Amino acid sequence: MLLLGIDVGGTHTDAVALGPKGIEAQVKVATNHEDLLSSIKSALSEIVKTADPSRIKQLNLSTTLSTNAIVEGRFEDVGVIVSAGPGLDPHSFMICKDFHVIPGSLDHRGSETKQLNNLSLEEAISSCRKSGVQVYAAITKFSPRNPAHEKEMELAIGDNADFITLGHQITGRLNFPRRIATAYYNCAVWRVFNKFADAISGTLEEMGLGHIKVNILKADGGTMPLPLSRRVPVQSIFSGPAASVMGIIALCKITHDSIIYDIGGTTTDIAIFVGGTPLIEQEGINIGSHPTLVRALKVHSIGVGGDSAISILEGTVRVGPARLGPSIAFGGEIPTLTDALIWKDSCDCGNIGKSKAGFAAFASKIDLNPDELADKAIENAIDKIHDSTRELVEEINQQPVYTIHELLENRRIVPRKIYIMGGPAKAIKMDIFRKFRLSTEVPENYDVANAIGAALTRTTTEIELFADTERGVMFIPSLGYRENVPRTYDLEAAEKDAMNHLLAHLGEMRVAADGDNALITASSSFNMVNGDTTVGRNIRVKCQIKPGVVRTYS
Amino acid sequence: MLKAENSLGIIFFPAYDWAISPTHPEREERLLYTQDQLREEGLFDIEGIREYKPEVAETEDIERVHFCFPEAEAIATRSHYISTGGAIKAAELVMQGERDRAFALVRPPGHHAMKTVLGSRGFCAVNVEAIMCEHIREKYGQKRIAIIDTDCHHGDGTQDVYWHDPDTLFISMHQDGRTIFPGTGFPKDAGGPKALGKNINIPLPPGTSDAGFMMVMERIVMPILEDFKPDLIINSAGQDNHFTDPITNMNFSAQGYAALTKMLKPHIAVLEGGYAIQGALPYVNLGISLALAGVDYSHVCEPGWNPETLKESDEIMSYIETLCGSIPDIYFNPPEKSNEGIINGDWSVRHRNIFYDTEGFTESQTESLLLCNDCRGLLKVQTQKENGPMGFGIEIPIGACDKCRNTGYSILEEAQVKSKFRYMQMINRREKEYMRYGF
Ligand SMILES: [Zn+2]
Ligand SMILES: [Zn+2]
Ligand SMILES: [Zn+2]
Repeated sequence: MLLLGIDVGGTHTDAVALGPKGIEAQVKVATNHEDLLSSIKSALSEIVKTADPSRIKQLNLSTTLSTNAIVEGRFEDVGVIVSAGPGLDPHSFMICKDFHVIPGSLDHRGSETKQLNNLSLEEAISSCRKSGVQVYAAITKFSPRNPAHEKEMELAIGDNADFITLGHQITGRLNFPRRIATAYYNCAVWRVFNKFADAISGTLEEMGLGHIKVNILKADGGTMPLPLSRRVPVQSIFSGPAASVMGIIALCKITHDSIIYDIGGTTTDIAIFVGGTPLIEQEGINIGSHPTLVRALKVHSIGVGGDSAISILEGTVRVGPARLGPSIAFGGEIPTLTDALIWKDSCDCGNIGKSKAGFAAFASKIDLNPDELADKAIENAIDKIHDSTRELVEEINQQPVYTIHELLENRRIVPRKIYIMGGPAKAIKMDIFRKFRLSTEVPENYDVANAIGAALTRTTTEIELFADTERGVMFIPSLGYRENVPRTYDLEAAEKDAMNHLLAHLGEMRVAADGDNALITASSSFNMVNGDTTVGRNIRVKCQIKPGVVRTYS
Repeated sequence: MLKAENSLGIIFFPAYDWAISPTHPEREERLLYTQDQLREEGLFDIEGIREYKPEVAETEDIERVHFCFPEAEAIATRSHYISTGGAIKAAELVMQGERDRAFALVRPPGHHAMKTVLGSRGFCAVNVEAIMCEHIREKYGQKRIAIIDTDCHHGDGTQDVYWHDPDTLFISMHQDGRTIFPGTGFPKDAGGPKALGKNINIPLPPGTSDAGFMMVMERIVMPILEDFKPDLIINSAGQDNHFTDPITNMNFSAQGYAALTKMLKPHIAVLEGGYAIQGALPYVNLGISLALAGVDYSHVCEPGWNPETLKESDEIMSYIETLCGSIPDIYFNPPEKSNEGIINGDWSVRHRNIFYDTEGFTESQTESLLLCNDCRGLLKVQTQKENGPMGFGIEIPIGACDKCRNTGYSILEEAQVKSKFRYMQMINRREKEYMRYGF
């Protein structure tokens, strides 16, 4: 049985086939940005030359498609209809031109405090129709507490839309502006993503691989089945760094608080592990300048990479953040971090002679001994990586907590180990070690770690359950599930229900019940008091399948 | 993307695992809906607004301010240490220049805790703002500080802590004490003999709404502040003046609180009371946060808010106008002598009985200030909880003269020798020495 992983990156598309004993096939092809499918196709056809197609069970795919569509502005117009009520002016979150604010409001417990204004809703829809909009996002403030107004909007939009995203379907977490942006992007890339999904399915059929299950990587270090991804394509954005991080997990046995570096050409991505688990961004990832509710691994990028140019500013040797062409070793003119590493004989790549000659010439031009220049350049790069890492860890340790128990028992993250991957990983390993004085590891196969990560990443999902026993209701917004509960409903029952619904949801997605990896991440129950009597309980439970890999290779 | 005009740090600490009792107004649920509202608004995504974790205060922070008997650890729970640490964190953010302003949205509150503390009063055990202010002075040097208390209840604790301090201006506006707990806070209470005119009480009639509060701000608070020229403005931001608050009788709104905050421009706001946890707190806290950050708050209002029906009567307005005519004089032309205490030799002495409503006992206390021409004067306190052991406290103030400082130590020595006191505490702000004796 084989698991395939494909990571469509900026420069290369990497693919691996993993069998019970490890890598059975691996391939690297150039990414064709005009036609991502062709890159995937050629990677796949290389793989099936060595791997028996009938043994392939699953393909996990990480693709920049949605990301690129958004970054390059290749997406369609969306009709965004919101209703807000008291608070910040909803017009502050106007994300596109077909943006309409409808009077009506719900409060934090989900009670309707003002009816939705049907007349202005009709006007908004007809205005969208006039401008030719075919996909709609409907978002109301506090919809995770009560989706009624969003459902009214859905009903009114009806046949006008090819596709509708309702805010509460994205997540049960609160954040109205982020919910607007997330629903908007989900609609904006819906068509382009679905065309791509059709093409992938078609290609697999053609290649005789119609039997394999396809999953799409998400930014949170998990996957989602292709059929599901068609409804939430926004979840596939920025999954690239996640593939790398999951690769490290698959290749190394991480148990301590750790730092992960993925050193690329122009940037270094920093991720932090607490124990064996990667940290997730608390709220969600930013797309352009818009914060969203898309869950993502916490990855911090800085402008230091192998191709970062060396410069002198006021007598100080600096590396990056600019990239002024390739390294001299690869035909460039201005020395880079890679050239500095080559000068120090730490790195063996490209045209060594040309690199060293160019490096020495540059040094003499600025009256520096080339050894000194190389040392200072490497030191500057390491310092930048070091300082950013410290800031990141400090920031994480500063994250708010809400109970006395958490504050007093909260342990600080203290990294004990460093893992490095990416092109210059081996060359820079000793310098990193000398700076941090922490055990530093560069795994085997670090060059295809991202594809391995993609192949082994398991399906993740997260749900929030919310119950209000005064009203006698329990609901799970992202599943659109609502049920009446007795006044005696309590936290224990809620935790049980949350877990059951999480596993049932996985079942619907045709993922084997993953009970071992399911865990409750937050759980609280508050007495609601009116006068001197307790009138009910306000219960909140969050649970998830934690990000991870199905097995490891080491 | 929204951007804050002033960078703002919010320390949100709802203490979700602490309550006085399950149905007490000051309970776990209190900041729950505020958290929902702030999250749902995306407040922390506004450029310039950031959430921070509180610190945990040290016992020394508490003992620098309060005479605690038997000791701080016996009176302040862990949640008090964190609530106080939250205010200290707010102060640090501003003092270190990391943020222009800060809001400590913490519980439990503190403004009913007096100089001497034997237990909990009015949901408060230790004075959160005072501990924060003295932390600032200890670390960043002597500062002129103005504390504006906008809680509906008289800030009797803060008044007491700063009664003798001419460098701290304390202004409390509150529902008239004849109609509500703790029954104090009248204009005649202008401060101790060395700090006359630095304690300003503004008792407002029940039913006061936005217009009344703003008149008080414009005609009393702002002119006094302008003259006092504080280095720091602190707002004891109690929110129980709200028209839906279950334990008070005022008609203030979220818009009113935000407008007040915009005018006051406090460097640091610290949450005090406010028990309308569903109908008021989410909106008031949002309004105050936006006003502090300088972000438009005009769309923040309570569901069902009707300014017309909340408007105060003409009688109320004319009564407040009378206050506005007379109260500023207390600051600008302070009385010659304090309304509390008698002169006994070199000492100004007052005897008091203080009721601890939360725990239901009375403290009897004798407080004496050594009247000195060279400094603020040495303070000593004798205290006893109903037939309990006696406690003795002595404070050498910031900037004490040599004579007061030396007198302080010889009085302490004498008290130890006589040993009529079970507990003794010395606060020496001059040499930063804090000592306690007894068991
Ligand atoms: Zn007050
Ligand atoms: Zn109060
Ligand atoms: Zn003196």
